Amino acid sequence: MLLSPDELEAFLLSLRVASIAVLVGLPPAIFCAYALARWRFPGKLLFDALVHLPLVLPPVVVGYLLLVLFGRQGPLGQFFSDWLGLTFAFSWRGAVLAAAIMGFPFQVRAIRLSLEALDPGIEAAARTLGAGRLDVLVSVTLPLILPGILAGALLCFAGAVGEFGATITFVASIPGETQTLPLAIFRAVQSPGGEAAAARLVLLSVGLALVALAASELLARRWKRRFLG
Amino acid sequence: MRLVSCLPQTLLALVTAALLTSAPARAEDEITLFAAASMTDAMTDLAAAYSAAGHPSVKLAFASSSTLAKQIENGAPADLYISADLKWMDYLAERQLIVAETRSNLAGNALVLIAPLGSAQAAAADPATLDWAALLGADGKLAIGDPAHVPAGRYAKAALDFLGVWQLVESHAVFAGDVRAALTFVETDEAVAGIVYATDAAISARVAVVGSFPTASHEPIVYPIAVVAEHDRPAVRAFLDFLLSGEGARILQHYGFVVPARSS
Repeated sequence: MLLSPDELEAFLLSLRVASIAVLVGLPPAIFCAYALARWRFPGKLLFDALVHLPLVLPPVVVGYLLLVLFGRQGPLGQFFSDWLGLTFAFSWRGAVLAAAIMGFPFQVRAIRLSLEALDPGIEAAARTLGAGRLDVLVSVTLPLILPGILAGALLCFAGAVGEFGATITFVASIPGETQTLPLAIFRAVQSPGGEAAAARLVLLSVGLALVALAASELLARRWKRRFLG
Repeated sequence: MRLVSCLPQTLLALVTAALLTSAPARAEDEITLFAAASMTDAMTDLAAAYSAAGHPSVKLAFASSSTLAKQIENGAPADLYISADLKWMDYLAERQLIVAETRSNLAGNALVLIAPLGSAQAAAADPATLDWAALLGADGKLAIGDPAHVPAGRYAKAALDFLGVWQLVESHAVFAGDVRAALTFVETDEAVAGIVYATDAAISARVAVVGSFPTASHEPIVYPIAVVAEHDRPAVRAFLDFLLSGEGARILQHYGFVVPARSS
């Protein structure tokens, strides 16, 4: 299976965008999952709904909202470019943002489920043995919910690799910059005679998904062996 | 227990009932039109005028010409197809997916350079003699349809090639999924300029036309229309006749389309 330079570029860009989207999304996802699983606070229902919004909104709507909020003229876009020198519109960073936001609910859900399944007695026991709150979080809670974090990261990665609607609406389709695998497939399918290129890219996406799934399965097994004997 | 055991049958019955009731009563005279995105406003108006005159209602689907052609190739239930270029109509014709004798050129269009209303770029200028480097600045974006598959993008690239500035502006180009998405990027001030059809610029209150591209700079922009193969029904022909009539031409012209002289 020989890829043209453009196709290889789209593939590598997808890997980069999806990986960074997972890493950027992980800390806030753990925080949101923890808040939703453990805390009671006013407006929790609204917060829960907000976290899940990207899951139920059409991706094009998310893309348009991102364009309006994070574009050069958007309030958040101006804030980021003025204070941090970061621009999102029509750049690969925008593709990361779109992918991270679309994958965020998946990450939160998986982590929250494993937090809710965790017996709070274990954490309480660690506290009575003298561990500080942060120590409990880092050396008890997080290792125990690692499978949930991995599952969430995997779902987010898969979603990020497949993200289309929000990406093309927010950052358009620029080869080498924002043209990820799905956008390249869309372009190939739309072009007369692009069927062969589309087929190669489709095979590549399937392969990538399989590798990601197998990797997460292996990681989960290794984790089980180490911690559960 | 009894409830659980009869659940599958109940579900099956419900699903069957839902499928039966929701199956479209495929009215013989209901018409489905697939049209290029740039036709959105004109066709919405035309369809409304047609059914207001007591004719059957027309269902409209808009997307880029390529998307629609591929959908028709894969059996989408379209009765009529309007493409924004000859290539995609030829694509269907080669595959015997349109009724050849019903094909004609419905309308024409012009290619214009646009900028956000009130921006520095919005001052009128002739694209043929424009200083593109000054227009786009260091990192200004130029929104166009993706030249790989969006007709408006292909015309735009051809025109920029013809003017000898494609190399210069290529790094500034932002490829949109269809021509209306390119318009949106300029409307929201994200791109400092864009290249769209004259008709797209005309329906937007938030962009200004900088200037028109010379007609020689790109192949003529025509919108061929044809009846989709195996959808040749009297009701479809009647709507096609309406689109090609004087009344149809009047509405198309209202939206900025050029209507070619017709023999009939």
